[in-house]
Amino acid sequence: MLDDLRYRVRALFHHNQVESELDEELRFHFDNEIQKYIARGMTPEQARRTARMAFGGHEQTKEDCREARGTSFIELTLDDARYAIRQLIGNPTFSIVMILTLALSIGANSAIFSVINGVLLKRLPYPEPERLVRIFLSSREFPKFPLNPWDFLDFRARNHSFEAIAAFTRGDVQLSGEGEPVKLNGFGITSGYFRVLGLHPQLGREFDFNAEIPGNGLQAVISDRLWRTRFGADPGIIGRKITMNMQPFTVIGVMPAGTEHPGNEYHSVAYGESVDVWWPFSFAGNSNFRGSHYIEGIGRLRPGVSADRAQAEMNSIMTQIAREHSDNNSRWKVLIIALYTEVVGTSRQMLLVLLGAVGIVLLIACANAANLLMARASGRQREISVRLAMGAPRLRVVRQLLTESLVLSCLGGALGLLLAFAGVRALVSLLPADFPRSNDIHVSWPVLLFTLTVSVVTGILFGLAPAMQASRTDPKDGLQKATRGTTAGKHQNRLRSALVMAEVGLASVLLIGAGLMLRTFLNLLHLDPGFKQDHLLTATLSLPHAQYQKGEQIADFYERLTTSLAALPGVESTGAGSDLPWTGYDENSGFNIEGRKPAPGEDFHARYHMATPDYFKAMGIPLLQGRFFTAADKKDAIPAIIINHAMAQKYFSGIDAVGKRMTFDDNPKKDTDWLRIVGVVGDVKDQPNSPAAEPAFWWPENQAPQPDMSVAIRTNSDPRQAIDGLRQAVRALDPGLAVADIKLMNEVAESSISTPRFTFALVGLFAGLAIILAAIGAYGVISYTVGQRAPEFGLRVALGAQPGDLLRMVLAQSVKLAIPGTIIGVVLAFSLSHIIRGLIYQVSPTDPLIMSAVVALVLLIALLASYVPARRAAATDPMTTLRTE
Amino acid sequence: MTGRIELPQGTVDLVILRTLLPGAQHGWAISERVQQVSSEVLNIQQGSLYPALHRLERRGWIKARWGTSDNNRRAKYYELTRAGHKQLDAETEAWRKLSTAVEQVLEGA
Repeated sequence: MLDDLRYRVRALFHHNQVESELDEELRFHFDNEIQKYIARGMTPEQARRTARMAFGGHEQTKEDCREARGTSFIELTLDDARYAIRQLIGNPTFSIVMILTLALSIGANSAIFSVINGVLLKRLPYPEPERLVRIFLSSREFPKFPLNPWDFLDFRARNHSFEAIAAFTRGDVQLSGEGEPVKLNGFGITSGYFRVLGLHPQLGREFDFNAEIPGNGLQAVISDRLWRTRFGADPGIIGRKITMNMQPFTVIGVMPAGTEHPGNEYHSVAYGESVDVWWPFSFAGNSNFRGSHYIEGIGRLRPGVSADRAQAEMNSIMTQIAREHSDNNSRWKVLIIALYTEVVGTSRQMLLVLLGAVGIVLLIACANAANLLMARASGRQREISVRLAMGAPRLRVVRQLLTESLVLSCLGGALGLLLAFAGVRALVSLLPADFPRSNDIHVSWPVLLFTLTVSVVTGILFGLAPAMQASRTDPKDGLQKATRGTTAGKHQNRLRSALVMAEVGLASVLLIGAGLMLRTFLNLLHLDPGFKQDHLLTATLSLPHAQYQKGEQIADFYERLTTSLAALPGVESTGAGSDLPWTGYDENSGFNIEGRKPAPGEDFHARYHMATPDYFKAMGIPLLQGRFFTAADKKDAIPAIIINHAMAQKYFSGIDAVGKRMTFDDNPKKDTDWLRIVGVVGDVKDQPNSPAAEPAFWWPENQAPQPDMSVAIRTNSDPRQAIDGLRQAVRALDPGLAVADIKLMNEVAESSISTPRFTFALVGLFAGLAIILAAIGAYGVISYTVGQRAPEFGLRVALGAQPGDLLRMVLAQSVKLAIPGTIIGVVLAFSLSHIIRGLIYQVSPTDPLIMSAVVALVLLIALLASYVPARRAAATDPMTTLRTE
Repeated sequence: MTGRIELPQGTVDLVILRTLLPGAQHGWAISERVQQVSSEVLNIQQGSLYPALHRLERRGWIKARWGTSDNNRRAKYYELTRAGHKQLDAETEAWRKLSTAVEQVLEGA
């Protein structure tokens, strides 16, 4: 064993010495043979010939000896690699084109794989994440709905499927005390929330069941970041009181760094370390009123329990609950979704499409490389013939050529990896803001492994066919014709043309995809949003309950704020609303309409909002009928309500909605229980690409005061100039208030279309890369055949052909390659259309305009790619070409 | 060339080991010796001799050193190692068993 190793190591590291010793040993044997034959009476010449005959292939014997030594694999590879590098240096243009195209396509693959690895492949940052699930309710109308607190308590008490379940709900807090007041992302959580996630505080503990009891809620668990930045990593923080929402909370725990928010649906915040404070959710109120749903469920399944089984059990509990409480709970089903699916759900399809796109680019690069290699191999026939004639086995020649392609692909891969490092940084900065797990995207070990694998597979893929073909060279033919250099057979020409057609086809698919993404993006860009997004500054405020306990105080605050903001220079109008368009707001309420009964199984409900009088004007939402709110819609005035066009269509179709009355009371008695519809306003969709606007209505802020509001300020110049005025106005009213989320509305609008923009940018980039590669491929084949056909062209010119004829002939050849390619592309695009359907908006995946534009573009590029070789053909001088024949 | 037999690989190893039993030899001498002793019946072609020598060396059954030949040239000499002696014994016994058994079958048939 040890001997063996020593022997191999010596053979490997003292390669040259071992080789020369082998030569000397064989030479000694050969000479002795000659001496023997001479001694038997032959002439030296005869002896030499006889010995050579008996000796057999010298190269072959050496090869067998190398193999017997057992080092041959590494040794040969090193040898081959050295030879390959010499070859590549000898042909720099070829090498640079090859390495650059491979680097671009491998690098693009590595960059996209980095994203996929971080987002889709990496495990969620919790212990045994596969057992974590999200718990939703689901009905026909609302496929994913939050839970009701009392239902949650019943689920928690009765289920056997979960090790633990917990609930959480967004509730930001305002931290004051030392320094500027700040608004923090906060969540109310039930006891056991962190236990479900498998996380433990680094200091202190998490909430116990007592904290859930109303009155015990002034406790807080804080993030590592908050602990360090705001409290100087005070080791004695546990038990300290901090002021949040103007109330004293006792810190009972500090979570460690890396405590990631598992994501949420309702008033969502981003994934990752985006939460700074957790406070105890308290179960207050009447457990018989189960209509309001605003907490989100998460659970850890017992080992061995499937999500389906848990869902079945939870549904049977839901049925019991519905029986015990005769409200309309029966329409709800429980929906269990694996946390992983929930986190990556929306991004998965897009990422897979991008991976497909970038994979196509790599395939094209492979075809291209194979093409270039084949063209070169036919120029190297003489060299290969000599090697074969010297007794090198064919397999050896294949190996040598394969090593060359592997050296190329690995150099390309190494350069590609550098590109990937830069590319990943660019990708992450371009990613939509709400993209899950973008912090987990790095060029990591799996990415390196992926790049290596892709490089090797690529090298074999594009190197194998040319190598096999070259090794089939007949040494005799090769040597005889070698002076002519170019003797590729018909077979090879066909193969190379087929490769170019495939390249053109694949590039067409990507161009069609890019066209669809472009149309989607333009459609979204030119969509009428239903409001005016320019010249609009927005910010959010939340009034702490401790100071603003009465509705009048809240209403008064916003009235005074909007009045003072409206007086700022450059401000046209200003208002406040419970939410801003396109920010994921989703609050719904049931109602009754005077003189109408819902059909069985139906109930009246719509999205609700609050607004101050000038909110609609500031947002630029048009009034369709009736009037906006006014200062007269006060607490004691007749309750007023404004509905949107979608709600008017759904509930007051064909009649005038203005003046109709609705109520939120199941048994309205007094006149003041009824609200009068005073106006109908234009629709604003939930998201720019939502299919239609949801029915919605607005209460006047004065009549339904809401402490957390978004302020909208419309200016006649740059809205940023109003930022200082806004801060001052808020400070003048309440110095303890934080002004949060100061944004321009067109930034909000922009971020809402960032996903389609991102997809379009990348698919467009890959399509561009693909068509450039395909053009290089077409150029290579055409210019090669032009070279081959030079004598023919010379003859034609001699027989009277005009340069224009030759030009047309070559261009026609290129078009002949491109047309089947585009047909393949269109057919492929048709068959792949279902994959992309979810990513496009208001454009058919088989849009004829896009298809024909792509076909025209590809043909144009094919003509361009062949123009230079065509010009060369047209310039054929019959005398020179015929003379060289 | 008539009457000569090409040896299979396993047997080549045995024959080489046995040829080296009297002492160190270089490759050419080994092939000459085998021809002589086998009355010109066995012939190990260079194509199989040298790979076999390298293989045996790798396994540690023979070791090589450079020495001077009869005609005063540098030549590579191979000799049996201790492991090589053992291997020769084992292979010889295995061969005897095999040939006796084959002989018996041939007799009995």
